[in-house]
Amino acid sequence: MNNETVTPVLEVKHLKKVFGQNEVLKDINEQVSNGQVICLIGPSGAGKSTFLRCLNMLDQPTSGEVLFEGQDLTKLDDKRLDKTRENMGMVFQSFNLFPHKTVIENIKLAPVKVKGEDDATATATAEKLLKQVGLENKADAFPASLSGGQQQRVAIARALAMNPKVMLFDEPTSALDPEMVGEVLKVMQDLASEGMTMVVVTHEMGFARNVADKVWFMADGYIQESAEPKTFFEHPETDRAKDFLAKILEA
Amino acid sequence: MKKFAKWLFLVVTIVVTLGVTGNMNTKADSNTPATDQYLSKVKAKGELVVGTSPDFPPYEFTKNINGKSKVVGMDMEISKKVAHDMGVKLVIRRMDFDSLLVALQTGKVDMVIAGMSKTPKRAKSVDFSNVYYKAGEDLVIKKSDLKTIKSYKSLAGKAIGAQTGSIQYNLVKNQATKSTLKGMDKDTDLILALQTNKIDAIALDQPTAEAYAKNTSGLVAINAHFKDEGEQGSAIAFPKGAQSLVNSANKSIAEIKSKNLIHKQYLPNAGKYLATGKSKSAKAANSMWAYKDFFIAGVGYTLMISAVSVVIGFLLGTLLALMRLSKNKIANGISVSYIEFVRGTPLMVQILFIYFGLGLVVNIPALLSGIIAVSLNSGAYVAEVIRSGISSIAVGQTEASRSLGLSRSMTMRFIILPQAMKNIWPALGNEFVSLIKESSIVSIIGVKDLIYQSRIVQADTYRGVMPLLITMILYFIMTFGLSRLMKFFEGRMTHE
Repeated sequence: MNNETVTPVLEVKHLKKVFGQNEVLKDINEQVSNGQVICLIGPSGAGKSTFLRCLNMLDQPTSGEVLFEGQDLTKLDDKRLDKTRENMGMVFQSFNLFPHKTVIENIKLAPVKVKGEDDATATATAEKLLKQVGLENKADAFPASLSGGQQQRVAIARALAMNPKVMLFDEPTSALDPEMVGEVLKVMQDLASEGMTMVVVTHEMGFARNVADKVWFMADGYIQESAEPKTFFEHPETDRAKDFLAKILEA
Repeated sequence: MKKFAKWLFLVVTIVVTLGVTGNMNTKADSNTPATDQYLSKVKAKGELVVGTSPDFPPYEFTKNINGKSKVVGMDMEISKKVAHDMGVKLVIRRMDFDSLLVALQTGKVDMVIAGMSKTPKRAKSVDFSNVYYKAGEDLVIKKSDLKTIKSYKSLAGKAIGAQTGSIQYNLVKNQATKSTLKGMDKDTDLILALQTNKIDAIALDQPTAEAYAKNTSGLVAINAHFKDEGEQGSAIAFPKGAQSLVNSANKSIAEIKSKNLIHKQYLPNAGKYLATGKSKSAKAANSMWAYKDFFIAGVGYTLMISAVSVVIGFLLGTLLALMRLSKNKIANGISVSYIEFVRGTPLMVQILFIYFGLGLVVNIPALLSGIIAVSLNSGAYVAEVIRSGISSIAVGQTEASRSLGLSRSMTMRFIILPQAMKNIWPALGNEFVSLIKESSIVSIIGVKDLIYQSRIVQADTYRGVMPLLITMILYFIMTFGLSRLMKFFEGRMTHE
């Protein structure tokens, strides 16, 4: 799957992010190639979410470069940044569906307003995506009437409607009741098997082990280990990682 | 009402500070040959705009003639003569007594006639004609008090009412030191206060006092026995330096005096209008139904002012809220200062300032001034409501929207504002309801809103409470209707 000669879809160089006195990300250098699924794991407070949000500039990095298809996002003006974000879908821990719009309106909004798609095309795409996430009968429901798992699947469909090149997932199952985690992971797994490039911040070790091409272990503002899941879970190198895995397995 | 005098003073101060033109030194001598342009300007526009406060019978008062409220009285007959002698049309502007001289100084009117006494203090800011009428001072009291009250001296420890800014007000203040002085803007309010035992007597100029006593059952007029403080009697006020107008008016006054027109013609005419007040047919005319057109017109104006102000206030408020939330320091600074300043000053002063203050630069009609002031005021309050609404939307909504490629402004338009609007709808409704009520203040600059009309009906019918009751009910219908309307839309916005 990995082809080192091709320009990586995403690349960060010396990425640093400081909040006030707090150095959350110290020096991060990584690449994501086309079609790769990356799972970003690590103890809470390690800066995983911040890192993810730096990838589409929802958080402005303090220094360093974020390259999307070779283009440094930190140097783009607002307008070109908006244009680039179309290609990077994002799914949030708390879903963040638009409560004043129906499910299908949530999905159609960006294609119609941003891309200028006509309503019929957008509706057709939205219906197809809803079918893909198994919610074709919920098109006209409002988000508040859906379960957490359903809302998150709508959120995934909404992000996919822009036909992004990369999908960023920020702890997509952390806010869900346990019985709903599976349905969301299933959708993500299908997506991965279709070849979508994904960066997933998660605590679902099973998902990381089975689906990821690579696991990034993050702690103390650095990516401490970057390895294939099998290698990482069976032979962690750093003490930090060993400690983390030991705690996870205890639970 | 004392507050009002303070605001007015403030506005006058500002106006005078802005408008010092160096003509303050002009001597108001009736023999001075005129070199100014005032008379030729009046002749050029073909009309003489006269300001008056028509609650002062028999000098000036309003009468419902064929369903229209007309200002009549002795002063109006004099004005007619003055205008006629100048060869121009007479146009009458009604306003509060307190606002008259400000209106004169700011060029809203060409002359003021309102039974106004010529005093040295007033003569500092305006030029007076010769005195056309001089009367003594009376007290209006209840018939039942006739035995106990003989002069102002009998009123020690009691309350005496007088029109704010009037000569009688100062007489009471200076001489009846043992009594409490209650100042009000309108004589009709004073009469009402007397009838409802809020005050024990009203100090009024003699013909006025007699007119009220004659037309209001249970009231009588007695001589107040004030010491003469050198009053010169009533004269016509003109802008400082308008010698040409003063000269022309003096010529007319001289003719009126030589023919004794005031006593032979003007006062009896005024009496005729007043006399009808007690006859049976007049009673029918004084029923509130006969004045329905006044109330309808008032409601129309109030609704119009409110509707326009709600729309402008809402747009302005949205703009200010976005400016306040923006990262641009200048936009933020402008918005914060505007909101703080407007919320920190009374609407009444804002209205007076826009009408009189800006009137020095551009002449804005009263109605437009009122709409502008109420809109600008409402914008500041709406801005804060909208800001709180926008802040109440979780940041995740913005992030989700931006991550989909929507720009900052699209996010505001499609995601944040629609949700914020739903959250703040009840607060916005409150804001609009108070806007309807607060718009009533435009009546002080003579906008013909509901309050203004109810004043006219009060003055016309000599009935104090009934017009107020009707006005209150009409306001309630409007505000209640609006809050039901807001509720209806609120229901339509709720999805969950």
